[in-house]
Amino acid sequence: MVITGTSKGMGRAVAEYFVTQGYLVVGCSRGPSTITSEGYHHSQVDVSDEQQVRSWVRTIKNNFGGIDVLICNAGSVQSALLMTLTPGDVLQTFLNTHIAGSYFVCREVSKVMIRKKYGRIITVSSLGVPMHLEGSSAYSATKSAIIEMTKILAKELAPVGITCNVFSPALFMTEAAQSMGQDWAERLLEKQTIKRTVTVAEICNVISFYISPESSPITGQVINMGLVS
Amino acid sequence: MKEERALELIAASLATLDDNERFTQDDVILENVILLGVESPLDSIEFVGFVTDLEERISVEADKDLYLVVNEIEQFNINELNLTAATLAKHIIKLVDES
Repeated sequence: MVITGTSKGMGRAVAEYFVTQGYLVVGCSRGPSTITSEGYHHSQVDVSDEQQVRSWVRTIKNNFGGIDVLICNAGSVQSALLMTLTPGDVLQTFLNTHIAGSYFVCREVSKVMIRKKYGRIITVSSLGVPMHLEGSSAYSATKSAIIEMTKILAKELAPVGITCNVFSPALFMTEAAQSMGQDWAERLLEKQTIKRTVTVAEICNVISFYISPESSPITGQVINMGLVS
Repeated sequence: MKEERALELIAASLATLDDNERFTQDDVILENVILLGVESPLDSIEFVGFVTDLEERISVEADKDLYLVVNEIEQFNINELNLTAATLAKHIIKLVDES
């Protein structure tokens, strides 16, 4: 199982969860590993750097023989700003990490999966998309693009037995979410249908559903946790 | 790298595809096989699998990580898709020799 963005937040929690479930997890982040468990292998990769992603995926393929599951999680969170106040560099950061990063990782991992004619690709979007959340124009626009990219990839890869699905987690209290402040978290929870945070086990339940053998006909789908959209 | 060797690598990658008899019959002249384009016997997904396998063979041959990027191939116009094995072989030679 390959997971991007594992140094902190949801990526780290998900990686640790699946290691405890017996998966061999290969993760990456721009910084060093924060996970010391056996069964976890880390690389320092900037997913928005095409060449780094190519090299990383080839190394995984050579060292482990293939990739069964990809969780394309790496993302960026920055303070919410109304669109009229959002600087260009904030937009660029989201474009690089969410769109280019997901694109490069999915593309390179797909090549490995195509040869095995099997794979499960899961991308991570956000409830900010169906909520049309104020202050998240750049963030949600790029998270929306991830959904579209995943659906197209799902159609392209269906003939070779690879499924591609998306999930949007409800509020999960990471360092990044905490940095946005208590008021922000309370306002977000108020907009959710199920007005509570989710646990890592609940997030991993969605992932486990997508990657189970019985989910082979499930592709191009989006699961919004805690929200009727 | 010589052209003959580049074509051998291309042939080896084509041989890994399902239904590879399309490329291994005696009357097939490999240089003229269209690998990408409307007249190609390969569909898009097969082409990806072929290129991925070929990249690995080239990297082993050159003993370094090399990647085939279609729009970097000289004499190949992405708007008029018609990539032959001969054109790809020339690109591989250049890629390996300049690496």
